[in-house]
Formats: sequence, C-alpha cells, structure tokens
Amino acid sequence: MAFHNKPGFAFRRIFFVLSGIIFLCWACQEDEICEDITANDLRIGFYRIGQDHDQWAVVDSLRVFSLEQADIPVHEHLTSVSVLELPLNPATDNCAFVIDFYPITDTLWLTYQRETQFISVECGFTMFFELTGINHTNNHIVAIEETTTYVTNTLDEHLKVFIPDPGNGDEPQPGFTGK
Amino acid sequence: MSLSQGLRANNDAGYSPSVRVGLDVSGFARQLVEPETMFREISLDVEWKYNHFVAVEAGLLDIDVQKQTHRYMAGGYYLRLGPDFNVLGRKPEAPNDLVLLSLRYGFSKLDHEAPFILIPDPYWGDFQTAVDSESYSAHWIEAGISLKTELGYNVFIGWSLRGKLLLYNTREAEMEPYFIGGFGKTGRNTGLMLHYHIYYRIPFR
Repeated sequence: MAFHNKPGFAFRRIFFVLSGIIFLCWACQEDEICEDITANDLRIGFYRIGQDHDQWAVVDSLRVFSLEQADIPVHEHLTSVSVLELPLNPATDNCAFVIDFYPITDTLWLTYQRETQFISVECGFTMFFELTGINHTNNHIVAIEETTTYVTNTLDEHLKVFIPDPGNGDEPQPGFTGK
Repeated sequence: MSLSQGLRANNDAGYSPSVRVGLDVSGFARQLVEPETMFREISLDVEWKYNHFVAVEAGLLDIDVQKQTHRYMAGGYYLRLGPDFNVLGRKPEAPNDLVLLSLRYGFSKLDHEAPFILIPDPYWGDFQTAVDSESYSAHWIEAGISLKTELGYNVFIGWSLRGKLLLYNTREAEMEPYFIGGFGKTGRNTGLMLHYHIYYRIPFR
C-alpha cells in the first residue's frame, strides 16, 4: 500500500501542516528594539485647570533641568509641548526637576522605589519605578494628579499637571504643595 | 485475541492500558535561537481508562547570559500534573491518534542572580548594580489542547498549545526572573506556550 494511501495519513498530514504554520508564525518574531523597551521615562501631560481632563493643554515653550545636574538640561527650548518625558535617576530613590515655563519656574520633587527588571537576553536590564511621593511648587503649576504610580516601559501617562487657563485669569498663589 | 486485533476493535473492549514517555523538543529548538537558555522536559502519561489519561511533566531550567552590559544566571526545576481527555474518535486503522483536552497544575522553583548589571542612561550616566542570589517559586494552572499521532512502532510525535494562569509567585522579590520554567516569561499573570514532543508508548500487555 502506498504511503499516502495508508490509514491515518490525512491526520499526519494535517498535523505536519499545522505544526509548520504554527512554528513559522512563532519563529517570525520582530527583532527587539532595545532602546524603546528599556526607556522608562516619567510621562507628564499638561492640562488646563477647569477644562476637560482628557484634553491636553499646549505649553508654548519650556525647558527642563534637574537640580542635581543644573548645567545639563534635560530639555531645552521645547515648543508646543503637551506631553513631557523626564528620566528618573536609576541610581537614587529621588530626583528633582525644574520646569521653566518662561519666565515662571516650578520645581518638581519625586521619590520612588526602584526595581531591576531583566528585559531579554539581548537587551539586558532596565529599571522600573514606583512613585511614592510628589512635591511641587505652585508658581505656575496649580495641581498634579497621579494617573499611575508605575513607571515602566509602556507609553502610559503617569502624571497630569494642571496649569492655569489664561482665559479665566486663573493664576496659582505661589507656594508649595506636597504629597 | 492479539493486542493489535484488540485495538482495531475501536471500542472499550479493545482498550489496552499503556504508558507513554515523552521528550519536549521545544527546548532544543529554543536553544538554537537563544543559546544561553536551556530547557529540558520529559513527560509520562498513562491511559488509565479508555480515552482518559493522567500526565506528569518534569523539567529543568538553566540560563546563563553574559553580555557587555549584564550577567544573569538562573537554574531550577518545574513539575506539571493533570488529566487529558481524548475527543477524537479512535479509528481502527489509527487507534492511537489523539486530540486531547488538557488541564495541568504547575509548580516551579528556581534560584537566580545577576552579579553584573549596567543600565545605560543618556542623562544621568550609566548605572552599575548587582542582584545577589535569591530563590523564587510559582504556582499556576493550565488548560489547552494537544495532538498526538503515531508514526509507527509505538513512536509518536505531537504538539500542545496551553494557556496558563499564574496563581502565586514569590512576593517582594528583588528581581523578577527572566523565565519561570514550565510557565514562560514573567511580567504578566497569563501566558501561552507551544510545545513539541516525541513519545514512545509502552503497552502494559
């Protein structure tokens, strides 16, 4: 009896075909882009106080530097900013940033817990953060709302920063707010 | 009546209990892609009643990664236990071809460490750290489907696809392991794994 006429051949043929398709799909995985999946910046969205909390505000221009490295800007001369990404310090449990809204500046102090995370054999390790405390001055920033405390390699927005609505004449009283 | 005549009867009267030992070849395939990772798994299943099986799977895990920016080592073992049920009608001409619905309970234990970690940071500067050896364990359940076909002379090949749900894992671990043996990569409470096996069936009589 020829092989293809032997009983059960159809079953085995289906098995091999399915196996080949499944293995091929599994093997065809996209190459990892290590820079994308190991970058874990704190993501801040700007919003106008009193307006829709789902609609970003646009800050005309700003610059950012850290208190620890004031001579090295994190961001310089950014324009039309709705979302800001800030790198948390992987070597310490806290860091602070000065946001210059031209000409008003505010300082943002952050404390967090760190967790070393193995991403992959090729990309190695990264640091995940869990925010434990947020303090800020109130020169231009009205309020800050935590969306999520976990800063990982996703594109989540972590903080909502509320700034005045110029149309309503809202201006915060200079001061300090801590959490 | 001979054993083969009994099997061709295609009913309970032709049922013959047997043991099947298997080897998961997925680990060998994975090692071709990731030479630093080694998984070895054997299995044992017993057809204790017509179309009803109980299976146990045991495996070893060994990972040793050494790169310019990191060194990671892990080693451990895992076990899975559960029933299978054949839903494919058993034809006399192919009485041992099976389509199985599977349930498993899994357990894994490993030790891992990272004696050298370098995390690049373009703003703050590269950060170097290390994680000392620590133990980690996990429990989970699985459900899935598998397919086994006899090539001949009691030699089988098969594949299985199972969804997994993590029930418990070590809390307050300083570092999550890269891979939980038998479960898959960490980071989520669910997983999906595909396995390829070769088997040898040993009839009891």
